[in-house]
Amino acid sequence: MTTSLEQQRLDRQARRSATLRRFTGHPSLMIGTVILLLLVVVALAAPWLAPYSPTRTSLINTLQDASWAHPLGTDQFGRDVLSRLIHGTRVSLLVAFWVVTLSLVIGTIIGGVAGFLGGWIDRGINVVNDILMAFPGFLLALAIVATQGSSLESVIIAVSIAYTPRVIAVMRSVALTIRPRPFIEASRSIGMTSTRILLRHVIPNALPPVIVVATLSAASAILAEAGLSFLGLGVRPPIPTWGNIIADGQASITTNPLISISSGLCIAAMVIALNLIGDGLRDALDPQMRRQTAKIL
Amino acid sequence: MSESSKVLLDIRHLSVAVRDAQSNTPLVRDVSLHVRSGETLAIVGESGSGKTLTFLAALGIAPNNIKVTGGEVLFENDDLTKLNPSELRTRRGTAISMVFQDPLSALNPVFSIGTQIVEVLRAHLPMTRAQARTRAIELLERVHIPDPHRRVDDYPHQFSGGMRQRALIAMAIALEPKVLIADEPTTALDVTVQAQVLELLSQLREETGMALVLITHDLGLVARHADRVAVFYAGRVVEQAAVKDLFHKPRHPYTVSLFRTIPRLDSPVHTALTPIVGQPPNLAQLPEGCPFAPRCYLVKADCSSTQVKLIDTTDSEHLSACHHWPEVHPGS
Amino acid sequence: MFAHVGRTLLRLIVTGVGIVSVAFFLMRTIPGDPAAYMLGDYATKESISSLRAKLGLDQPIWRQYTLFLSNAVTGNLGTSVVTGQPALQEVMASIPSSAILAVSGLVIAILIGLPLGIVCAVRQGTWVDVGVMLGALAGISFPVFWMGLAAILVFSYWIPIFPALGSSNAKDILTQIHHLILPALVLGISIAAYIARLTRSAMLEVLSQDYIRVARAMGVPERRIIFKLALRNAMVPILAVIGVTFAWSFGNAILIEAVFSRPGLGSMLLKAILARDYQLVQAGVLILALMVVLINASLDLTYTVIDPRLKAS
Repeated sequence: MTTSLEQQRLDRQARRSATLRRFTGHPSLMIGTVILLLLVVVALAAPWLAPYSPTRTSLINTLQDASWAHPLGTDQFGRDVLSRLIHGTRVSLLVAFWVVTLSLVIGTIIGGVAGFLGGWIDRGINVVNDILMAFPGFLLALAIVATQGSSLESVIIAVSIAYTPRVIAVMRSVALTIRPRPFIEASRSIGMTSTRILLRHVIPNALPPVIVVATLSAASAILAEAGLSFLGLGVRPPIPTWGNIIADGQASITTNPLISISSGLCIAAMVIALNLIGDGLRDALDPQMRRQTAKIL
Repeated sequence: MSESSKVLLDIRHLSVAVRDAQSNTPLVRDVSLHVRSGETLAIVGESGSGKTLTFLAALGIAPNNIKVTGGEVLFENDDLTKLNPSELRTRRGTAISMVFQDPLSALNPVFSIGTQIVEVLRAHLPMTRAQARTRAIELLERVHIPDPHRRVDDYPHQFSGGMRQRALIAMAIALEPKVLIADEPTTALDVTVQAQVLELLSQLREETGMALVLITHDLGLVARHADRVAVFYAGRVVEQAAVKDLFHKPRHPYTVSLFRTIPRLDSPVHTALTPIVGQPPNLAQLPEGCPFAPRCYLVKADCSSTQVKLIDTTDSEHLSACHHWPEVHPGS
Repeated sequence: MFAHVGRTLLRLIVTGVGIVSVAFFLMRTIPGDPAAYMLGDYATKESISSLRAKLGLDQPIWRQYTLFLSNAVTGNLGTSVVTGQPALQEVMASIPSSAILAVSGLVIAILIGLPLGIVCAVRQGTWVDVGVMLGALAGISFPVFWMGLAAILVFSYWIPIFPALGSSNAKDILTQIHHLILPALVLGISIAAYIARLTRSAMLEVLSQDYIRVARAMGVPERRIIFKLALRNAMVPILAVIGVTFAWSFGNAILIEAVFSRPGLGSMLLKAILARDYQLVQAGVLILALMVVLINASLDLTYTVIDPRLKAS
């Protein structure tokens, strides 16, 4: 007969491996993660992976078709498209990374404070957040970039501001459901300060849905950056980003479709990966499905 | 209850399994039971014992990955397991009806009660909407819902818990089924309402000669309302008897253990509760032989190797799955 | 019922004021001097100070804000520096073209996305489900402007059946429709992807509910269960997503109009941004956001019709 401590350890182990199995058993989650990891590797290894410098122009080699020297051809300035695409991975990953990080950090703090403390603070934050969410995300990012000028930094800031309100809203609503729970009251009764409760209880419990929202926001953020760069308002050439490569290829779409097509496929690959991860996380972390099947027996 | 009343529903050796990516787990094994007209059969067992699933599968409304793997379900000369889906559909509601546990979730929130009853009526009978509506009002009256002319247009959230259960029952008897299966009809209700609902079911049973199958884990309910009882464990029927016989002379260790878990008002103060030892069975990994063996107070060496089947004990119609049944004494 | 309408209205007003304020403060965050920004290369000391005086930029910020608010309420959103016309007028003139595109895109999206979502839910796990959902995943992952370019490549050059230009000045409606089809299809398909995904998950959720099991247990035919009993319940989240995607398509109108060279609110906004016509940009962003809010608010009111539980609260 095992002791109760021994039993607890076994239980914890069983739970952890059950959770792990839920992740690895989910094909779309695995595929998404693999794609994303591949893209990270490409971005990190870009200077070594890319056959040419992405900004190296050549006036004689403009608008070449695909060849062994240039597997995806060259653009209107003679730059190798493949190299530009590889380097473009960096920008997209940077945007994704910053948007997720900023929205998670700012979103959980603001949303947690609003949902947990309630009252005036909550109402104030909620009103401002609702107003920000009333703007379509891309439009808000566009407006911010229009006023702040086009650069990688302003794009990242603009997109983060545009997509953080979502995270705040989710965090807040989860915090609202956690607040009345008995274990929170219990924590208070033993003298825990609100800050500690927020950090140790509310936020960890709220993380799963918040992470899902942040991941899906990152997907929207990449599409937004691409759109901004395509319009010429985002990251400016010669820095290669998938969005402005599509724009470069637009003029020659009939003669050299590869330029725009291939950069679009890159964007899609990263966004699909993020969507798969977000969807997969949401399914894997959703206990409701398990509850539903239990009812029948 | 008379010996000459006929058998309406006859389930014979029914087996049901769930099929998923990894395995094929039997959930119901070799279940045989029958219901006669005018009688109340109680089905008792823990959650997961297969008591609800048996009937869901019999009616063809179990979830998609759960299939009947053997046996037959006979109703008035038809084997329900052999019918095609649309034939089976015509039997549901008209021949056999089922009422589920939670009346709030069992009623569609965006339609009025009247609309839902009309939907059921018109699914089987050639009525106009007006005729169906009139019948719906009659049905609400029959289940003692006050002011039915007005309430027929109300939505589920406008009814109280007890009235919702009555409305559900109204829907279930709308087509005058011969067998009504009530799955935990009172679990979601408070005690006073429970009594009313069961009173209603008994009354309907007397008026129409309908058979009632009561799926429950509440033994008090069984004692008060059932004529016969079937006890489920790990997907099998382990004992089947008339209600008096079951309570006075249980013939399976599981039944005895169940009775023991109920605290008695006449036992001395501070008597410890006696739970059933061990863990509920994992249907995917059942041991050989008797599924109750790991937890049985009467277990013998041959229990893990003998095939389990229902045995006729000496009393009429008292079946037990324990081949050591003569040694089962209540209260020991 | 009226309380709900009243509350929606109140929220609308607060949000409206909020949007106007955001538009105001956004323009004030432009680094440096807004007047210098607007004049760009033509900035001289005198022209800057005279423009500042003209725009009231030399007043304290709160005075500017209240002035802006009161002007906005009366419909005065400033003047376009480029055309000299009132900004509001310019914006309103550009709306019809965008509205036609947005509405046609939405109609196409609903006609394609809703049935596909239902089919996938009913046939969950089959090849149809997997295939359509993969397609929908692609639909939400490819940038909508790329899909526009690809569509032009395929349907205007390789198989020339549609014009690459998204609009025409021809008087007859058939030509206009001909020019509208490609951009509307591109927009429609990208929205349909969202709608299909959400319809599927909403229907799956509803179909697993007890009341659906009860309806089956009572022998109601499956078709009726899906299209009447289940769908009505799924409608509220589905309508919500339609509202959200409609809003999203307004935000993305600028991209489609750019790809197809189609006039409208989006392309007007782009031109204004590039020309540093900040009053026009401000007006455009403001009106667009207000429209989105209005549409969502009206959708909000329809929910009570669908789900009677909402009437009670």
